[in-house]
Amino acid sequence: MSDTISYLLMAWLDPQLLALTAIGTLAGIYVGAIPGLSVTMAASILISFTFSWDVNHALALIVGIYCGGVYGGSRTAILLNIPGAPSAVVTAFDGYPLAQQGEAGRAIGLSTVMSVIGGLFGTLILASTAPVLSDLALQFAPRDYFLIAVMGLLLVSTLSGKSLARGIFSVALGGIIGLVGMDPVTAQGRFTMGSIDLMGGIHYVVVMIGLFGVAEAFYQLHFLSKEPVRQKVDKIIPAFSMVLKYLPLSLRTGVIGVIVGALPGTGGDIASLFAYDHAKRTVKNPSKPFGQGAYEGLVAPETANNAAVGGAYVPMLTLGMPGDAVTAIIIGALVIHGLNPGPMLMIETPHIFWFTVGNLVLANIFLLIFGLTGIKIFTKVVELPKALLIPLILVLCVVGTYSLNSNMTEVYWMLGFGILGYFLKIFGFQMGPIILGVILGPLLDETYRQAMSSVGDSVSAFLLALVTNPLSLILTSVIVLVLLGNTPVKGWVVGQFQRSQ
Amino acid sequence: MFKPLALGIAISAAAMAFATPTLADYPERNIQGTIQWGAGGATDNVARSLTPHVEEILDTTVVLTNRPGGTGVIGMNHVMRQRPDGYNLLYGAENPQLYQLMGLADFSYDDMHTVNIIGQGLVVIAAPADSPYDSFKDVLEAAKENPGTLRMGGTGAGGLPSTVHAMVNAVDELDVRTVTFGGDGPGITALLGGHIDFMPLSLAAAKEQILGGQLKGLAVLTQNELESLPGVPPITDALPDIGSFLPWGPFWGVFAHEDTPDDIKATLEGAYEQAVNNEEFQDFLRNFGAEPLNLNGDEAQQYLDNWQSVTAWSMYEAGAVETSPEKLGIPRP
Repeated sequence: MSDTISYLLMAWLDPQLLALTAIGTLAGIYVGAIPGLSVTMAASILISFTFSWDVNHALALIVGIYCGGVYGGSRTAILLNIPGAPSAVVTAFDGYPLAQQGEAGRAIGLSTVMSVIGGLFGTLILASTAPVLSDLALQFAPRDYFLIAVMGLLLVSTLSGKSLARGIFSVALGGIIGLVGMDPVTAQGRFTMGSIDLMGGIHYVVVMIGLFGVAEAFYQLHFLSKEPVRQKVDKIIPAFSMVLKYLPLSLRTGVIGVIVGALPGTGGDIASLFAYDHAKRTVKNPSKPFGQGAYEGLVAPETANNAAVGGAYVPMLTLGMPGDAVTAIIIGALVIHGLNPGPMLMIETPHIFWFTVGNLVLANIFLLIFGLTGIKIFTKVVELPKALLIPLILVLCVVGTYSLNSNMTEVYWMLGFGILGYFLKIFGFQMGPIILGVILGPLLDETYRQAMSSVGDSVSAFLLALVTNPLSLILTSVIVLVLLGNTPVKGWVVGQFQRSQ
Repeated sequence: MFKPLALGIAISAAAMAFATPTLADYPERNIQGTIQWGAGGATDNVARSLTPHVEEILDTTVVLTNRPGGTGVIGMNHVMRQRPDGYNLLYGAENPQLYQLMGLADFSYDDMHTVNIIGQGLVVIAAPADSPYDSFKDVLEAAKENPGTLRMGGTGAGGLPSTVHAMVNAVDELDVRTVTFGGDGPGITALLGGHIDFMPLSLAAAKEQILGGQLKGLAVLTQNELESLPGVPPITDALPDIGSFLPWGPFWGVFAHEDTPDDIKATLEGAYEQAVNNEEFQDFLRNFGAEPLNLNGDEAQQYLDNWQSVTAWSMYEAGAVETSPEKLGIPRP
């Protein structure tokens, strides 16, 4: 017990570790805020950089970068309508309208507090139920991942804005973009047209930077003469009563975040989508309508994506299996430092587990401090003249894309998607569903084929498995209910029910 | 912006070449190291563990960049398109030796200069801890009783499991369903959840799970039992004939452009040989579940040729590929 506490407090009491966590968190916020500079990339660079360091120092820095980076994506989403990371895509839906109403400071303040609540909630779940949660995550068979992807497809109704038809078109377009590259089973090129550069597919961050960053920059050219909105910066820290009001929603979306984060194969990006959808379905009277600056629309995704960080550590620390791309790199770091990430990690080196838990708590505290202090200067970004802001955005988009895989072809793709996105925007298409398609397309493809080959390519056996396995049955039922809930059947059932009373 | 810079470098490099024809100063700037697989994977781990020792020996910085995609085609293609001046190196795995056979690209390691074959990974066939099968023999028998029902984890055509499957089919019969995963990690996760019955894996990825009792080792792809994995029988116990393909495993190496000047090739070979020999790195490799090889020159070429011939022919004989290795000039083992 005393060992556990000393491991927990390791990062708190050692000034070096404390400083590294702080530096990591601060750097992470900026890495996350710049579209294309991703946590994954920062972490993999740090691995080489910290090779000769003590393993705890390296881990402290990476934990900071991870927490800060997931949060940082919301900054540019709110201020510029350009999500800095995939997990902040939905944050822009209500965050940007708030910034246009001069409430950028309050929006950032609220998302900071909610991110920290999410982060601490995720860490708490990690510390208390990691083994149980990882057992649950292992129960998810390929067909269950397939069902989750189908549930994700249903989010199109939430993300489409005014026109569902346009939304469905966008998801399909995204799905096709996501399938470009080498077929994972047969190793044949799909939509590559014989080009070696397309063999690796089109990275969804490339699509995201183009559609959100470049397209938004072009779109802003329409409003060159418009005066920038004056930002109110007096009430940045949300009132305690406000935090309390949204706490139930943030805890519910926190649960979504931890579970989706703990599943190897899904992460903060999908978690935030589900959380936003959940908020939209359950909150009857939002502060403003969703999409026009509802605080609920900020609370849900921001809590979920930071809670997903704790979730992603669950399979990593209990099984040595990565929960997402960043934890995959952390596993690599442990291997290079001579540790053995696996089921024995918690038994052979228990300090790693408790050190990480303590460190996550610390990083979230730093997140609160750094998140709430720099806002005034940050909100000035929106007040910059467009002549400075737009070129700056374009430069960051190019740098960010190139830094992804050091591949110039991806920069051209990103610019191409920027132009496409600009025209789609003009014709009233939403960008969210395209990203949804790019993320879900490959997941659907992979998991459907896995599920089918597991049952010997028999459609009937596949359908039977969807309703005979308890976990699959729950997921199938949710899908059926959501579908029925949007048809006249719901009205009929409710009518019958009321008549019988 | 980049072109004038590149031109400037080219001119200064050319001027330097005239001034000092021996290029004794190599390396005089940073070396770019391209890793053909993603961050956190086996190739990435090996590259990042080895490189600090090389940096010490060459007294320069090797900037490592991951350029994943297309089973490594993209990273290799990138390095082959750079100037042959020794400042661009490829950290690669075994995959390029099968590119032509699989129709992925028209080049292989024969089109590059091998600086060092660092080491070879060991392979283990694993099953969930509560599996009814205790050895690979049980799996073979069960598959013969009920053909096409057992679920084997794979990583797609040309991946390690597909090659092992082909080798088994070249000497015996193993009719199973192949469920394809994105790599060893997702495959192990599916094994732990009992969603597949068995999977050939790199020992580096599966070792901790087997030692921790979460997975059961059915066979190691070697002639003898491994010291690091006691109790797991060699595959030759179940299939003596497969011995002719062994030793076999995924490998990692460092490669430079074919037209690199000879003295730079020699400098690099010397540096990498010394780095791989480093005690600390040797410990890392063994802990990683791999055998150090440290080959260069003719030995490396011989190793690459042999690997290619054994793998290509067993895949062809098992019907996993349609192109005959003979057409590509790959001799029978």
